[in-house]
Amino acid sequence: MAGDFNTESMLDMYLFENTQLLEQLQETVLEQKDADSFDEDSINEIFRTMHTIKGSSGIMMFDNITAVSHKLEDVFFYLRESHPDNVPHVELVEHVLEVEDFISSEMEKIRNGDPADGDATNIIADLDKFLNMIKNGGGQGEGGAAVENVHEEPKHFYIAPVASAASRFYKIFIHFFPETEMANVHAYKTVYALKEIAEDILYSPEDLLTDEKCSDEIIKEGFRVLLQAQCSEEEVRDLIGVGYDIEKVDVFECDANQFLLGFDFGDTQPLPQIDLESSVEVIEAKQEAAQTQEEQKSVEKKPETPKITPGDFVIQSKEPGRQKKLAKDKPKGEKATFINVNVNKMDQLMDLIGELVISESVVLQSSDLKVPGLNLDNFNKAAAQLASISTDLQNVIMSMRMVPLTNTFQKMNRIVFDVSRKLGKDIEFVMVGDSTEVDKNIVEHISDPLMHLVRNAVDHGIESNEERAASGKTEKGKVTLSAKTEAGKVWISVEDNGTGLDREKILAKARKQGILDDNKPDSVYTDKEVYQFITLPGFSTNEVVTEYSGRGVGMDVVVQNIQAIGGALEIESTPGFGSVMSLKIPLTLAIIDGIVMEVGTSSFVMETGVIKQFIRVKEDMMIHEPNGDEFVMIRGECYPVIRLGKWYGLEEYQESVEDGVMLILEVEDRKICLLVDKLVGEQEIVVKPIPSYIKKVKGLSGCTQLGDGSIALILDAPGLVE
Amino acid sequence: MDEMTNTGAGSPDTQENKYMTFKSGSEYFGLEIQYVQQIIQFQAITKIPETEDYIKGLINLRGKIVPVVDVRVRFKQGECEYNDKTCILVITVKDTTVGLIVEQIAEVVEIQKENILPPPTIGRGDKGHHKYVYGIGKVGNAVKLLLDPEKLLYDEENVDMELTMTENEE
Repeated sequence: MAGDFNTESMLDMYLFENTQLLEQLQETVLEQKDADSFDEDSINEIFRTMHTIKGSSGIMMFDNITAVSHKLEDVFFYLRESHPDNVPHVELVEHVLEVEDFISSEMEKIRNGDPADGDATNIIADLDKFLNMIKNGGGQGEGGAAVENVHEEPKHFYIAPVASAASRFYKIFIHFFPETEMANVHAYKTVYALKEIAEDILYSPEDLLTDEKCSDEIIKEGFRVLLQAQCSEEEVRDLIGVGYDIEKVDVFECDANQFLLGFDFGDTQPLPQIDLESSVEVIEAKQEAAQTQEEQKSVEKKPETPKITPGDFVIQSKEPGRQKKLAKDKPKGEKATFINVNVNKMDQLMDLIGELVISESVVLQSSDLKVPGLNLDNFNKAAAQLASISTDLQNVIMSMRMVPLTNTFQKMNRIVFDVSRKLGKDIEFVMVGDSTEVDKNIVEHISDPLMHLVRNAVDHGIESNEERAASGKTEKGKVTLSAKTEAGKVWISVEDNGTGLDREKILAKARKQGILDDNKPDSVYTDKEVYQFITLPGFSTNEVVTEYSGRGVGMDVVVQNIQAIGGALEIESTPGFGSVMSLKIPLTLAIIDGIVMEVGTSSFVMETGVIKQFIRVKEDMMIHEPNGDEFVMIRGECYPVIRLGKWYGLEEYQESVEDGVMLILEVEDRKICLLVDKLVGEQEIVVKPIPSYIKKVKGLSGCTQLGDGSIALILDAPGLVE
Repeated sequence: MDEMTNTGAGSPDTQENKYMTFKSGSEYFGLEIQYVQQIIQFQAITKIPETEDYIKGLINLRGKIVPVVDVRVRFKQGECEYNDKTCILVITVKDTTVGLIVEQIAEVVEIQKENILPPPTIGRGDKGHHKYVYGIGKVGNAVKLLLDPEKLLYDEENVDMELTMTENEE
């Protein structure tokens, strides 16, 4: 089985799985932060998440993570078992988030190769206090006892999942031939096959792969499996198969209670201790049988919980069943990430598909086909089929790069929660359009800027509760984060219903800093200009520096980061009613819609968005300046002209403007005309950087591969305009 | 076969002391084989405006965009027509992949260290290519000028630029 892990190291898997679990956890917690308490599903989920993290961290020997998750697991175990009333919900949410933060930061350290040395004692002490408080508050003795019990358990215990009504239970005994070598591996093969159908599976001996000694035990005593699945005995037998190694297979059907009791029934060996310990539910069953009958009922109730769908099983850290359940239960807020693929592999795939398209055209346009007298009907049909498949393939790989903003927005939810609680503001957070899809590398770039904007909205934008009351605002403070796609761009805006920007204050500050022209009165500056001042470095009107904002760094960084990916920040504000910060960013950096054109022997591509018009001009519309500059008059407007061929010193380009085509480009209100020889067509192009070996050329932003395999240079409109 | 690939899978031992030789002008040059990725036939090159004269442009190497350098121009031997003997030798030096346009590919030869002499100091600077040659390898009666690929790709001023760039980054 080691082969299964050959590419991803254990540590990578650990980090990846737990990061996902934590993200999910945070989402669950934040979803219910405004409720009175967690519902049962969430409690179970948090409990399981903590349990899984504890287990895997234990294996990886990250003791502090193990300790913290263990403690939180205890808390949720208590909640799950005892359903105490009067749990201070907000406090609990904070505790969970605190633990999540701690584990996240420790994992960040691990990821960077640093030791995970964070001190967890404070958090653990807090959790202990909290647990004691709810125990005393809830006052349920038995629950406490149950929690105590968890403390004594070995680390690798097992959470039995919940069965559905259609589930059937089997006890399976497999006897291998005594001469079988490595019976443990054979047994594992069986387990592996059964996992396909299993909702739950338990087996003994347990450490099939790690404990070589168990091979003897299997031969001597047989291999025992407890299986919960929705299939017939026949199917189970089929899956196990009767190989050369298996002597005898016994399958007994049983009911849920027997199932929970483990392997202990009549004609076989006494229940092995290891199985008991491996199942919390089993422990509960035993413990509760010894205690109250009332609790027995609650255990029995569990297998019948209808909400949980079949396929819900949890085996150590692998949880396909549970993810399935999440996906089914939440059709709307679907998680974005289903499978993690290395971005390099994606890029590789993209390159390969590019190559495929090229070799396709090489084949289809092969000169061998041009021999006269060939009957190519069938070939052409097949060729058309091939072409459509490769087009689909291209579309799919493009769409694979697109990810919804859901995760990014969720992070903002967390920030609003944290900051508003620290500042004592009562704030509602609304997300709109979080399923808007954006290229992956853009998502990475907007996370930080958005965080700044959201913090600002909570900290500066929204007034304190008292101020709101004083100014007669009745509604709650509200921050709206919304995303939409429009005209090939994504608009992400952060809106608050707070004070809005104070024009006078900004102007006064700007005067003080000497940004304004002393000769001009304040009234000359438009609102838009004034608001842009806040994006200047070192500009903050907040007199009081808080933990979150007010130092005047932030907005300039936001603008820088957004500009780096070709976006812009727009600010709107209404005094007394709040402000809207909108980020306008391109959908993707990797693929753009472009117009392919030719100049001489070279091909160029220009992004479609900046081209306002194509026009053929007559020589008499040209204006030639003595210094060589040229302008063109088009419908009464005068545009500067760049002849691309001349600009780059190319060969064989059209000298006369009448033979070429003029493109009117508009970049940030500046317009120029670009003269090229001819237009080839519009297509989606994959942007690739020009190799760094070649020093930067003004006006070129990258290069791309055209359908025939040749390379076209991508023109950078802002560069040309300058 | 229009493509001879050196997969680089050979152990360092088998690659040691081996040189890919090619002809440029009237002389034969050698390049340590570990730098050579593959040799491809001459193909259409997309010109890049406003670059050094020896950088001929970009080629599409199976989806990867690779700049190409004309070795003759680099050695100031003057341009010459490309014909069917012209090849592109794709080399990778410090993660930079560059194609070298060479007049003619010769062979892979083995040159022991004791057969490599330092370049003659007399007349240094007369010929453009001497600053890229770190040694002269003797193979039988013939000599091969052994090239330092880093110097080949980056001339002095570019090397300086590189250095200042890395300093800035730090």
